[in-house]
Amino acid sequence: MRTQHALVAMLALALAAAPWMLSDFMLSLVLTCLMYAGLTVTWAMFSGATNYLSLATAAFFGIGAYVTAWGFGTLPYAVVVPLGGVAAAVFAALIGAAVLHLRGAYFAVLTFGLGELVRHAITYFEKSYAHTVGRVIADPPESTTVYLTVLAVAATSVWACVAVRRSRFGLALAGIGADEERAQTLGVNTRRTKIAGFALSAFFAGALGAAMAVRWTYIEPNSVFNPFIGFQTVLIAMVGGAHTLIGPLVSSVVFSLLTEFLRLQFPYLFLILLGLVLILLVLYLPGGLASLWPVLRARIAAFGARLAAQEGGVRG
Amino acid sequence: MSFWLELIATGLITGGIYAVVAIGLNLQYGLMRIMNIAHGEFLMLGAYFTWLAHTVLHVNPLLFLPIVAVILFLVGLGVYRLCFRRIARTAPTADIVEARSLLVSFGLMFVVQNAAYLVWGADLRGYSFLDESVAIGGARFSANRLVVLGFAVAASLALLAVLRFTLIGKAVRAMMQSPTGAQLVGIDTAVLHPTVFGVGLALAGVAGALLSMVYEISPAMGEPYTVTALIVITLGGLGSTLGALIGGFLLGVVEAFGMHFTSPSLKMLLSYGVFIAVLLARPKGLFAR
Repeated sequence: MRTQHALVAMLALALAAAPWMLSDFMLSLVLTCLMYAGLTVTWAMFSGATNYLSLATAAFFGIGAYVTAWGFGTLPYAVVVPLGGVAAAVFAALIGAAVLHLRGAYFAVLTFGLGELVRHAITYFEKSYAHTVGRVIADPPESTTVYLTVLAVAATSVWACVAVRRSRFGLALAGIGADEERAQTLGVNTRRTKIAGFALSAFFAGALGAAMAVRWTYIEPNSVFNPFIGFQTVLIAMVGGAHTLIGPLVSSVVFSLLTEFLRLQFPYLFLILLGLVLILLVLYLPGGLASLWPVLRARIAAFGARLAAQEGGVRG
Repeated sequence: MSFWLELIATGLITGGIYAVVAIGLNLQYGLMRIMNIAHGEFLMLGAYFTWLAHTVLHVNPLLFLPIVAVILFLVGLGVYRLCFRRIARTAPTADIVEARSLLVSFGLMFVVQNAAYLVWGADLRGYSFLDESVAIGGARFSANRLVVLGFAVAASLALLAVLRFTLIGKAVRAMMQSPTGAQLVGIDTAVLHPTVFGVGLALAGVAGALLSMVYEISPAMGEPYTVTALIVITLGGLGSTLGALIGGFLLGVVEAFGMHFTSPSLKMLLSYGVFIAVLLARPKGLFAR
């Protein structure tokens, strides 16, 4: 336990010192990793625990980004970021209140088109009331500030996941995923729990969107509501194992790096490949790579025991 | 008078396409609990095949319709064999089939869409076919739209008839009512499931072929139709074919009126509004008893 704490503290220190240690390119790589780590961990917190699949990450991310687009300049960066989170959370709570009491399929279906819906709504709003297509972010904060903000949001999201997992609320979410009727019988207010969980995960997606938005100088609906963000989030969580915490964290680093290096060179081929990875994974390893870990550990232990037995045999 | 007629006809024409797409999707969901959100991508494939046949081989798109249906039926058999058979066999409960098929088809969507980008590029494509206008009752329509409506209705009704009056249709309906019971009386799942999945994709392909006669096509054209089809299914009730047919026309007309009186860019908001209203008021569909 103590070594674990020490490791986490060292990692946090290294990440916090990164702006002064790394080149700009490396820093932007780490930034992408942090963004996906935050998105994936909070996605898994709700969808992994409850088995209610949300395909709406891109929508929440975009809402957060648009809060920045509208508010930045009049409001300070430190206010805009949580505000983006709150906006996404409120939206998620409204949507959740409408459909989360129904079966999981309806929920997934509804969230599937949500990104499109919000994109069209904002495009329409901007065109008819603000008479513009996109917005320019004037005078963005320094890259160090952006990095530290994203780091803070990502760290908070990981912390929130750990806290939720240890709380009654987290148990209630997992109970809903295991057997919703039983959870209800045991006194869990399933509807309220689901809405709260969904809103909480949306809060972090929105805050990350708001924090990352200042990196694009020009914000327009088509670039902000990129379905790839939602796809990547689901994929990373599934690869890592949506029921665990460490699995999505590790795989978000791997996939962000892959994306940075391969996506620009082979844009279509890369996405085809990612799609295939998701299909194969769901078919052959639905628990993600993390589900291999206990098997692997058992094998290693068995191997060790056999070695010990052999040695014992030789000596005897 | 002619104004209203035109508006209703516009709604019915898009509604006809919605109905064909939704019936295909609904068959897959109703029978196997496969939530195939890559359905629209196969509509896109159907559109591209028709466009290719027309521009390269100069085949009449209407004559090409049955060929598209056959091609996509075969594609459907392949996709079922590669992606969904294993899920159906290994998943312990129907809810897990739903969740896993959703994720698999999410991956499939990216595979098919980006393969299309890779092969045909991101440009809008199109061809003109039967675009002279026809006057009916004082209202004017372009001929291709009327043809599209006719074929969409014909395809939907043909499928309804097959389900209602043939032995295969009876087997499908039995399977929807009680999977175990149907197997007990000797209905072979191993044949029926891939066939029905293939028929679903064939319908999507036909819808795409019809669309390519009227609109320009692009690799991203399929996704909105998937969302709309899912909304239509919710309107008509999960698993109900007649419900999907009526729901498709209904949504088409509602959209046509809504877009005329507000703004075309609010189309998505309108269909989502209808969707959420139905989910709140009648979660089992408009026609559920």
